[in-house]
Parts: sequence; structure tokens; C-alpha cells
Amino acid sequence: MASIDIPDAASRRNKLVALLLNAGAVKKVVVLALVCIAWEATVRLLEVNRLLFPPISEIAVKLAHGLGLGGTGELWSYVWQTLSVILQSFAISIVIAVVVTGLAVSNNWAREFLSVMTGMFQPLPSIALLPMAILWFGFSRESLVFVVVMAMIWPIASSLTVGFATISPTLMRLGQNYELGRFAMMTEILLPAALPMMISGLRVGWGFGWRTVVAAELVFGATGTGGGIGWYINNSRLFMNIADGFAGILLVIIVGLFTESLFRMVQYFTTHKWGTENF
Amino acid sequence: MVAVLQTMHADARSAGTVSTDLVEIDHVSIAFPGSRGRGTVVAVEDVSVSIRRGEKFVILGPSGCGKSTLLTAIGGFIPVSGGEIRVDGAAVRSPSMNRVLVFQDFGQLLPWRTVVSNVEWAVGKRWPKMPAPERRARALHYVELVGLGPQADQYPNTLSGGQKQRCAIARAFAVQPEMLLMDEPFGALDAINRERMQFELNRVWAAESERVTIAFVTHDVNEAVHLGHRVMVMSRGPGRLRALVENPSVGSPPHDGAALKLVEELRELLKDK
Repeated sequence: MASIDIPDAASRRNKLVALLLNAGAVKKVVVLALVCIAWEATVRLLEVNRLLFPPISEIAVKLAHGLGLGGTGELWSYVWQTLSVILQSFAISIVIAVVVTGLAVSNNWAREFLSVMTGMFQPLPSIALLPMAILWFGFSRESLVFVVVMAMIWPIASSLTVGFATISPTLMRLGQNYELGRFAMMTEILLPAALPMMISGLRVGWGFGWRTVVAAELVFGATGTGGGIGWYINNSRLFMNIADGFAGILLVIIVGLFTESLFRMVQYFTTHKWGTENF
Repeated sequence: MVAVLQTMHADARSAGTVSTDLVEIDHVSIAFPGSRGRGTVVAVEDVSVSIRRGEKFVILGPSGCGKSTLLTAIGGFIPVSGGEIRVDGAAVRSPSMNRVLVFQDFGQLLPWRTVVSNVEWAVGKRWPKMPAPERRARALHYVELVGLGPQADQYPNTLSGGQKQRCAIARAFAVQPEMLLMDEPFGALDAINRERMQFELNRVWAAESERVTIAFVTHDVNEAVHLGHRVMVMSRGPGRLRALVENPSVGSPPHDGAALKLVEELRELLKDK
């Protein structure tokens, strides 16, 4: 009997290991750990100048300190600075995009205006507008908000346009049948029906905005004003705190991943549940 | 509000002065601009017929005969190009909650609302001041009436085609319209489901004290005979009224002798001449 039991237990253990290895998340963690080990080993074994390229362990400690684990927690305020700019820009972009696209649904001129503007500004990296924005608004929050809005608004508007254009005529007729006014038609039929496309647009818009705000802050950093995470990264170069800079970069990545998963969650609780998901 | 509406219905039935005709279709033609702007396409030509209050009126015809177009015009969704459609004596100008359209398209439910919430939404539009508990109770009543009680809290994407159409029918009945306009609502269902739904429609209509007037568009002769007190046969290209047939065997089982005879007659009428 015992001779049968032992291979059973072993095979169960093997199965568990196989199952864990097969899970995508586990593989990712393993890969990430390997990259970190390779980084650490390279820096230590090849005796790279730590001032220019610190080992990952040092960066991790800096990051932990920056986030308040045995340190000052100063990073939070920088991240919040950046996030508050992008959140404000996000809100402004959504309102403008919804209003303009809503007008474009019923008005030909508004539609052409939107299509021309989207066509023109979509290919333009909005960071290119920063010099002008600095002239107009100075080294201020307004300059940042301006370029970030210009980055976010076009992908949001164009995805909304597609979203509205692909709403089934049946749903529009349903709205007419129940005598919905313009506003109710917008909030109760058009927007929820366009939500799958809208979520993709918001995701892309947020991604553009996040890149742009960090880049813009780097430029601000060069002039010694500002205070967001981009500014922090650039500042760490000025003071040769390269580990701090890397910690900042890691944080940018983490925030990016975090917001991405927030979008996934929104998607999961709305369009995924309704079966109208769009990828 | 509900009470008021019900008395209005009662008045309409008891008062001798009210016309028995709810809808008057008076020399109606409907034309669309042709493709690439060339000329016009006449979908419906010079149709005159009346729909009686409280009857189930079937518009039967081959595909492309303009029967859906006519129904949509009764709903007020598209304008007529000649003649006039009057409901309760007043010309139809725009869609109204008094004439609820039920589509063939399964996508007529709001996908972001559950079954009962779809019905609640419509009830809320009809009676904006109705308190939420009453609205919900009302919605649930109709959801259960069409046999969707167990699915009340499911989202439409989890329902079968037949269940979706049941939900659409519950929603339409729940707002107590004067009239239901049904545009081949069972056209996309399999044969077994279609027969079941025809039976169910008759049942729900009777449960609602046979008050609602129904205009039902179909190209299925058996469906027409099972459902319609009267059947209007349309011919194709352009859509004209070919015949108006009284149907004494409405609601009878599909293999009833008289019903079968009428089916044969209607098939004959549908043949292109």
C-alpha cells in the first residue's frame, strides 16, 4: 500500500508545481525576478560605477524610503502632483470630447470640424506644443494641463465618434419611441452604448497623457521649477542621485500599470458584464 | 397616472361616440430617395385601411412589400409622402409612447440593464412620477407575466433569442400603450420557439384584458392566421393592399380545419400575379 501512496503524493506535488508554472502571473513573476537578479549580478560582478548605474537593491531601498517605508515618503507628493495634473486634464478632455462629439452626432458642420481637428492633432505629439504653452501660460500648471489635454482629447473624441457611429439604429429608435429629449438620449442611450469604444479611447488617451505629463515635467525640471515625478527624475540627475532617478522611473511604471488595471476593472464591471466588450 | 389611463381606456370602450377605428390609414404612399440620388423608390402606394380598437391586425406580405415601412410610419418614425395616418383622429407626426414598437432585432434591449431594469426604465419614462417601489413591482409583474421571473436579474447577453423577445414584449405591455407595433418580432426565432411565442403573445394580450391594439407585421402565413383577427395582404413592388381578410379562426390550434383553409387562401393571395 505504502509503495502506491508515495508516488501518488509526489505526482500531486508535481501537478501543483506544473499548475503554478502554467499560470501566466507566476511566469511573469519568475521572469521579473530573473531580470532583477541579472541586473544585480551584472552591477556587482562587473563592478560598474554605482554612481551612474546603481544595483537594483539600492533602487528598491530608495523607492521604499521614498514611499515612506523607513524614509521620508517624499515620492508621494511628487506622484500626487503629477496625478492631479493628469486627472484634471482627463476630466477636461472628457467633458470637451463628449460635448463636441455629441454635437457632431446631429450637426454636419460640427462633425467636419471634429474630423479635421482630430485628423490634424492626432499625429502631433502634443509635447511639441509645450514651448508655445510656456510662452502663453508661463512655467505653470496651466501649461502642463494644456499640453496634456491636447494629448488626451483626440483619441477620446475619435473613439467616441466611432462609438456613436456604430450604435444600432434599433436602440436609437427605442430612444425616440420613449420620447427621450436630447440630453436623455445622450445619457441613457448614446453614452452607455458607446461605452465599450469609449473605454478603449479613455485608455489610449490616459496613456498619451501620462507620457506627455512626465515628458513635460522633465522640460520644466530643466529650468528648475515644477514638482511632479518627471521633475523629480530630472532633479535626481542634477544632484547625481541616480538611484533616486531610477526609483522615480520605477514609480512611473508602477503607476502606469496600476491605472491600466483600473481600466480593466471598470471594463470588467461594465462592458464585460453586459457582453458588449470591445478590445 | 395609471388609474387615469385605465379610465381613459374604459371610456373609450364604453362610450358609443368613440369610433371603433383606432388607426385610419388614408391613401398613404411612402417613397424614399433612390440610391445615388436617382429618382424615388416607392415602398408603399395608395394604401387605405383602418385598424379597429382592440384588435390584432396582421400585415402580411412577401419581403420587400413595404409592410415594415408602413408599420414604421404608423409609429411616426418616418413621414408619409402622400395621404395621412391618423390615430384617434389626430395625424401621426412623431413617435409616441402610446405606440410602442417591438423589433425583430434582439438588440432592442438595453444591454447595460437587467431584464427587470429594462422594463423599469420604460415604466419610468411613461410615468416619471411613479415611486420607485411601484415602478419595480409593475416591472416585475410584467416580467413574470411573460415567464421571465427566474431571469429577472440577468443581463440580456445571458438570454436566448426567445427570452430577449419575451423581455421586449414585457417592456412594451408594461407601459400600457394604446397600440403595439410588432415588426416580425419572432422572425429570427427557430420554428418551435416561434410557435410558442405566438401562443404566448395571445396569452399575454388576453391577460391584459384584450385592451391593447396590435399591428403585427409578418411574412409567415401560419403566424398571421394564428394571431390576426384580420389579415391585410400586401403585394410587392410597389406595396399595395391586395386583400383584407376576416379571420374567425384566430387563436385556434395550427391544424384546425378552418385555419388550414384560410392558410391556403392567403398563400394563393401572396402569389405574384
